[in-house]
Amino acid sequence: MEEIAVRFDHVSMEFPGVLANDDISLSIRKGEVFALVGENGAGKSTLMHLLYGMHTPTNGEIWVKGERLTEYSPKAAIQRGIGMVHQHFMLVPSFSVAQNVVMSKEPRKFKLFYDWKAAEEKTRALSQEYGLSVDPSAIVGELSVGLQQRVEILKALYRGAELLILDEPTAVLTPQETTELFSVIRRVVREKGMTVILITHKLYEVKAISDRVGIMRKGRLIAVKDTASVTERELASLMVGRPVLYEELERSGQPGEIRLAAKDLTVYDNRGLTAVKKLSLSLRAGEILGIAAIEGNGQSELLEALTGLRSCASGSIGICGQQAANCTPGEIRAMGLAHIPEDRLATGVSKDASVAENLLVGRHKAPEFRGALGYQKQSSIARYAEGLFEKFDIRGAGIAVSAGSLSGGNLQKVVVARECSFDTPVLIISQPTRGVDVGAIEFIHKQIMDKRNEGTAILLCSADLDEVFRLSDRIITLYEGEITGEFTPNTIEKEELGYYMTGNRRKEAGAHEAITH
Amino acid sequence: MKRSHINTPYLLSLSLSILCALIIGALILLVAGFNPIEAYGAIVEGAFGNGRHIGDFLEYAMVLCLCGLACVLAARVGIFNVGGEGQLILGAIVACQVGVWMKGQASWLVLLCAAIAAMAVGGIYAFLPGILKVKVKVNEVITTIMLNTVAVCLCQYLAKGPWKNPNKNMVAATDKLDAEYWLSSLIPGSKLSTAIFTAIILTLLVWYVMTKTSGGYEMKLTGQNPRFAFFSGIKTDRLILLCMVISGAMCGLVGMFRVYGAEHIYKSSISNDYYFEGLMIAMIAAYEPLPVVGLSVFFAILKIGADELQYIGIPSQIYQIIQAVVIFSMAAQSGILSWLKDRGQKKQARLAAQVRGGGKDA
Amino acid sequence: MHDLLSRIFSAATLNETLRTATPVALAAIGGAMTEHAGIMNIGMDGMILMGAFFGAYGSFLLGGGWLGLGLAVAIGILVGLLFALFVVKLKADEFIIGCALNTFAIGLTGFLSDSVFGYNGGKGMAALPKLRLSFLDHIPFLGKGLQGLSVLFYITLLLVLVLWLFVYRTPYGLHLRAAGEKPETLRTAGISPEKMKWIASILCGITCAIAGVYLSLGDLEGNFAKNMSNSRGYVAFACVIFGSANPAKAYLAALMFGFFGALGTCLQAYISPDLTAAIPYIITIIMMVYVVLRSQRRRRLSHRKEQVA
Repeated sequence: MEEIAVRFDHVSMEFPGVLANDDISLSIRKGEVFALVGENGAGKSTLMHLLYGMHTPTNGEIWVKGERLTEYSPKAAIQRGIGMVHQHFMLVPSFSVAQNVVMSKEPRKFKLFYDWKAAEEKTRALSQEYGLSVDPSAIVGELSVGLQQRVEILKALYRGAELLILDEPTAVLTPQETTELFSVIRRVVREKGMTVILITHKLYEVKAISDRVGIMRKGRLIAVKDTASVTERELASLMVGRPVLYEELERSGQPGEIRLAAKDLTVYDNRGLTAVKKLSLSLRAGEILGIAAIEGNGQSELLEALTGLRSCASGSIGICGQQAANCTPGEIRAMGLAHIPEDRLATGVSKDASVAENLLVGRHKAPEFRGALGYQKQSSIARYAEGLFEKFDIRGAGIAVSAGSLSGGNLQKVVVARECSFDTPVLIISQPTRGVDVGAIEFIHKQIMDKRNEGTAILLCSADLDEVFRLSDRIITLYEGEITGEFTPNTIEKEELGYYMTGNRRKEAGAHEAITH
Repeated sequence: MKRSHINTPYLLSLSLSILCALIIGALILLVAGFNPIEAYGAIVEGAFGNGRHIGDFLEYAMVLCLCGLACVLAARVGIFNVGGEGQLILGAIVACQVGVWMKGQASWLVLLCAAIAAMAVGGIYAFLPGILKVKVKVNEVITTIMLNTVAVCLCQYLAKGPWKNPNKNMVAATDKLDAEYWLSSLIPGSKLSTAIFTAIILTLLVWYVMTKTSGGYEMKLTGQNPRFAFFSGIKTDRLILLCMVISGAMCGLVGMFRVYGAEHIYKSSISNDYYFEGLMIAMIAAYEPLPVVGLSVFFAILKIGADELQYIGIPSQIYQIIQAVVIFSMAAQSGILSWLKDRGQKKQARLAAQVRGGGKDA
Repeated sequence: MHDLLSRIFSAATLNETLRTATPVALAAIGGAMTEHAGIMNIGMDGMILMGAFFGAYGSFLLGGGWLGLGLAVAIGILVGLLFALFVVKLKADEFIIGCALNTFAIGLTGFLSDSVFGYNGGKGMAALPKLRLSFLDHIPFLGKGLQGLSVLFYITLLLVLVLWLFVYRTPYGLHLRAAGEKPETLRTAGISPEKMKWIASILCGITCAIAGVYLSLGDLEGNFAKNMSNSRGYVAFACVIFGSANPAKAYLAALMFGFFGALGTCLQAYISPDLTAAIPYIITIIMMVYVVLRSQRRRRLSHRKEQVA
């Protein structure tokens, strides 16, 4: 029997209102590469944060090398040889590589002074030992993301990590960098006997690097498999595929004229990297076009560019025949577009404003709500807000309370209610039911379908494949800012779609051709 | 819709803070060997004792209130105007000089021109940090602090150099205004002038715009979540800049009021960090107009009343101590509350862990 | 013209520059600590004022300049603790706490000064020594400029060196900077960023107290006048920004501010000293805009480059 490095014993983690981890029991063997896969919000990161001591589990225990953890803190975790490379790097940008690597265990001169020479020496030695070549004196903020990741790994190694947690390490890497990372992982496992836990949602990576794989969904551990014994397709179906429980929604009408057209659109992300590459798509009245993509493949940037929240580097956007590239959101809304954004708290509402104020925005200048001297007609605003509140079945302490006091699902209904009430020819919807309870999901889906049947052109983007399948008339898959395929829901299986979303077009170009044509 | 911040908990914590400040003030007075009850009595007596003092504290309250509201206007949209002091004194000196230049003209014309000039100068002086914030994302707090000092230097230069009053050799001051341009005094001997009517109208206007109109609603949304406001189609950059300029113009106008209503000349006592006091009031009023009015009156009473303390041998600075303690405790109240809550939770968690651990061991 | 230049670059100008720069520099190196820890410290003016009063009071009470300095530093530590209590522990807005601290200091020192020294302030308490070093007489230009400076001037130089070493050459300095720039990195490394902020506040309290003592006991004979910090805290704040929180650069910035002050005296006949005094602030603003623009451009360029590579 192999040595057990870490054992989770009925671990649960509850945040206010969310059960992020639900009774998880799992053993990680020493010297293996264990992959943890699941959709966004499945609880993978939370589980690993518990192991690294960033939270204390509400229930259950964690055993490391046969000892029960009594204190949950990063310090204690580091002492037990656990290292973590966070999804958002924990590096100080203005510091040198060596300074970041040795932080908290600095080599010293005369007991008091930081010995930068020794630090750089140690960093260099470490980087040579593990084949992670990086200049110890370089400033971290000026390094590429791939190199920054190496610094993170070096940091964990320097602190004496025997177990390394990598939280979506490839999400920010180029394919070449990913290959390099994997060879490093193989080497540390083979030569140093380290244990690696890898969080990812790219399935081919699971096949490429891991020995075993655990699949999580909605806070639960669904299955643990030997990687060799499962195919990518099986993994995809385990990861995304609960059977559709909902009944079919009623569709009526035929697609009409083109309402939204993007041509050769190129968009940069926040870091200035190309997120959307020369993408073209068109959307007709009375249809729902679904975008299926794993997080971080350019869908957020695409939607932001279409709605005016982000500038386009090149290409054109037409909305109802008007040129909309690089217009402000206000101008684009005036052309006839409404938008349910992916992150409702950051973009979709003002938590501190009241529910009524959140429902009103966008029409607050309409004559029925604004009188002479800009006076806001509170009674008609209240009546209007009450109407939407009733119609969209928002549950909360009324329209006067602050929006932040509503639950996630009801807050989402506020956004949906507002954006649907504009009755615009084009509606862009992103993650309409993220973090929303089942009842509200059904309601929101019905609203979206009603809009489609009324002839609205709808672009839908969701991480939830069931949702995309259920609502869409057409589906496109997006991988690294490019469309990898276009399908209709009834000609393709969900598992197959998951396959295209994880970037398999290149490998099986033939199959892709066969399906699209 | 909701009555946002002015609610019972707010009033409660404000009263507690004031009480706490008065107690600390009393302790300091006791330690220094004074009778606190006598001192507080003298403050009230000093503020309300005669008409002149009532006029003075009303004038002071007007200045604080307008400064506070100027700060509130900018803060509502998420830009922090710390440069009001500079805008105020520049407005004052320009308004005063306009009055000197236009000697002989009709008084309504002079007053109008002076007000416009003061507002324009204040507005322009606020526009600079505003545009740097909106376009270049330079921290407006730091730039406005720097610009304050630049304004002080500039006014010193003007009052000692080109606009100098030839009769005042030593101090930096401009020419005195002709008495016909003075805003008429409401209470003889006090600084209170008809400017207070304009100030009241202005206060009502700010309150109306901020709480009753769609413009105020857009401002509020922009300040709360600028991304959401932009997403909703509000031209956030323009709104932020506009509010900053109006805030500056208001400060300039306060400067004009100080000159035409109270001092009738520009000299360095035209403002003694009055804007900073207004800014602190705005902050502890949680950027709501009505508490700004109330707190301005309260602090003005304290200040003018405390001036009388000197005559019974108690240093008047006790008022600044009391004011600072009120601000300390108001600023820290949410921190104190969450700290208490945190402690409670930790205690619970520890207890729970003990129970769980005990169960396992047994 | 020659005459003018020789007046500008004279020993007297140097001497005045150094004398006016010292209190500002002392406060600025403390402000550099809080700035590194990610706290915008507006309250330095109040901290200086407290130091000035308690230095004078200590000297008055205990009968010695050094004892005054000791009392002022002790009070400075308390003020630093108070500041950290509100800003770090209770998470109050650092700006409003800074403002309130300034008001509090004006009130408290004014109140105590009136109670202790009477309405006209205190005079004549024992001051700190000024150093007359005989070897300086043999150095032609510098000697005259450096002669007769307060002992605190030399302490300042020492403190600049010590704090510079602390920030850039010790592990604790690394932690301090990380606490301001990216506190999560410290937390995931098992170090408390809050602890570093407390330390920075206390250090700032100490140096500002010494700055105050310089005003009351250092430069002139022992005296205390109400509000004698006279906005030096804001000048120090400008120096911190200008020197990007590096104690050595902040010291140089303080010298620049001092030089422009001294320059004003020299050029009185040609240009108002008030205008020359404004120049360093304008330079600071221009610097800030430049720094922001440069960092934005550099970031864009580096990412583009990375993508091409």
